[in-house]
Amino acid sequence: MISMIFRKRKHRLKESILRGVFEENLKILGKPPFRISERMPLSAKKISLSFLVILLFILGHGNSLNLPLFQEKQTIASSSTKNYFQAPEIPFALYDNSANLSDAKAFLKIPGVPLSRTFGLSVKTVMIDPGHGGSQNGTIGKMGTKEKDITLDIAKRLKMRLDKYGRYNVIMTRENDVTLPLNKRVALAQSYKADMFVSIHVNYLPSRPTNIIETYYFGSPSDDTTLKLAERENADSQYRLSDFRKIIEKIGNTLKYQESKKLAASIQKSLFSNISKEDGNVQNKGIKTAPFLVLLGVDVPAVLAEVSCLSNSKEEMKLNNETHRENIAHYLEKGILDYLNKGEASYEAKRR
Amino acid sequence: MKQKEDNILFVGIDLGTSRSSICASSGAKEWIESYVGWPKDFISLKVVGRPVLFGSEALQNRLSLELCRPLEHGIIKEGIDRSEEAVREIIKYLVEISRPAAEQKIYAVVGVPADTLKTNKLAIRRAVSEFVHSLMVVSDPFAVAYGMNLLNNALVIDIGAGTTDFCIMHGAIPTEEDQKTILTAGDYIDNQLYSYLNEKFPNSKFNKNMVRQFKEQYSFVGKSSGEIRVELPVDGKPVIHDITNEIKRACESILPAIIETSTEMIARFDPEFQVKIKGNIVLAGGGSLIRGIAAHIQEALKVIGSCTVVSVDDPLYAGSFGALKLAQDMPVKYWESL
Ligand SMILES: [Zn+2]
Repeated sequence: MISMIFRKRKHRLKESILRGVFEENLKILGKPPFRISERMPLSAKKISLSFLVILLFILGHGNSLNLPLFQEKQTIASSSTKNYFQAPEIPFALYDNSANLSDAKAFLKIPGVPLSRTFGLSVKTVMIDPGHGGSQNGTIGKMGTKEKDITLDIAKRLKMRLDKYGRYNVIMTRENDVTLPLNKRVALAQSYKADMFVSIHVNYLPSRPTNIIETYYFGSPSDDTTLKLAERENADSQYRLSDFRKIIEKIGNTLKYQESKKLAASIQKSLFSNISKEDGNVQNKGIKTAPFLVLLGVDVPAVLAEVSCLSNSKEEMKLNNETHRENIAHYLEKGILDYLNKGEASYEAKRR
Repeated sequence: MKQKEDNILFVGIDLGTSRSSICASSGAKEWIESYVGWPKDFISLKVVGRPVLFGSEALQNRLSLELCRPLEHGIIKEGIDRSEEAVREIIKYLVEISRPAAEQKIYAVVGVPADTLKTNKLAIRRAVSEFVHSLMVVSDPFAVAYGMNLLNNALVIDIGAGTTDFCIMHGAIPTEEDQKTILTAGDYIDNQLYSYLNEKFPNSKFNKNMVRQFKEQYSFVGKSSGEIRVELPVDGKPVIHDITNEIKRACESILPAIIETSTEMIARFDPEFQVKIKGNIVLAGGGSLIRGIAAHIQEALKVIGSCTVVSVDDPLYAGSFGALKLAQDMPVKYWESL
């Protein structure tokens, strides 16, 4: 008798797992879940009944099983309702409380050093920062594509491309799917003495079915949408925009500011001019300023590129294509090199 | 119902970084090294005699071929544009081996490394769907677990070439939190071994491929069962070298990260469930063939309590077998809805 109950339990477990596999694959295809239930109401009833049984079983064993069956679905639900208008409500520092606001001053320190070493030939260490990671998914497309995976993949490709020149020391803030708080990213850039910092992100525009490309450097938010975006991208940190409003005012026209602007322009130009060749509908949002935390903490030219848009289903499909990600990495590479070459040219000019 | 199943060929495919295999309901079973090569030009085509070569054959003819190893670290280092094509060729080749009858429908479950799945699931679906009628893609460690009936209370550690994938099974399809990937795996051992040998025998000539073969033949951790002697050319002449220590060091270099990650993943669960998982740790993938590795990891994990670590019987087919089992267990209505 006991073995029969055990067998039945195992059978139900199997059923729910098989269904889970099926639903995951439906999601990859961008098909809505529960299509089956419309076509086969009876068996669906049976399935949901067995689901309920399993759920009850799990609830009964809740402690030992730790995670409920519906976890996956919760993730989907939260991602589909997610947009950046809700972002400010995301609590700061979901995971890392090691830094507190008393560190803020040190963290937000404005560099007093001249930035001359960032010019021309002296540029050696390029730091690439794949946005988000680990428990921080970033935005999530309808098919389940996560910003953190796309940014890491593009970053790896960009690194490989820059490595080929043998002239740059290319370092990534993360090489795996790990959670990395924004202040740690900044600390990495500082400890490696990075000469340039490029953060890669993917946008999400819930209300518009378009694809846009925009590149940011640190400054006051250009407009309300930019402010919302900054709040979303800063959500992994413990700081609020009000914490460094004064600093934004002070940063003014420093060398870092000017160089970051040039770098942003160069990257944006390369990204847009190339992507628009393949996608006539892509919109050029140009270079903008926004108070992104990662950009503030870094002492050297630093930009944040929103290279694509996961809310756009077509774009999500394309991002799942290796060639497209490789192309984006290529355009980023071009933008960075154009900036560096210009720097080199002006350096050469000054020497002569 | 039986009638219907006769018209369906179920296949399970394990698409690996280093090896890919297939198990089919027809009983067909095959594996190849995950290399695809296309002749570089028409002369090469004459030389090799075929438009596409696979596995070891492709490796042997590498000079005449444009070689592609798709899925490497989830990223392709060379021949990026051809990686999807390479996946397509591998699948086509494997499906042909399973000999479907003309009127048979093919329902396939394909297991891929967990990391690859994240950004390539659509590309993989696209590459495979051409050759099958319905398709599901799953992570490889999950396929292994399913094949071994480890649906609950188990940890699968899949030591592949590019990555080691961890997957905790707790009675549901594993979520992202239940899976972890690290880059210390087979290729990492190759690189370590290569640099150790370079250091020890600076005058010898050998390449990464030879090093990989040494590893596959002699790999072990812990106590050696005798000296390992191999022939390496020095100034053109073959010389016998003892590489026992280098093999040991290289193989053991992946252990700390694997042990640390296992410990971390198990620690996430509450004590009662931890005990259950600890009794059910399974090593899969090519790395599970390293002699002594299960015993070594079991010993190292003692610090978190007693554990049972075993290696799968047949790592080459564990993934494709599990995928086939998934395919056969999957209700037909699911297949028809995809
Ligand atoms: Zn982002």
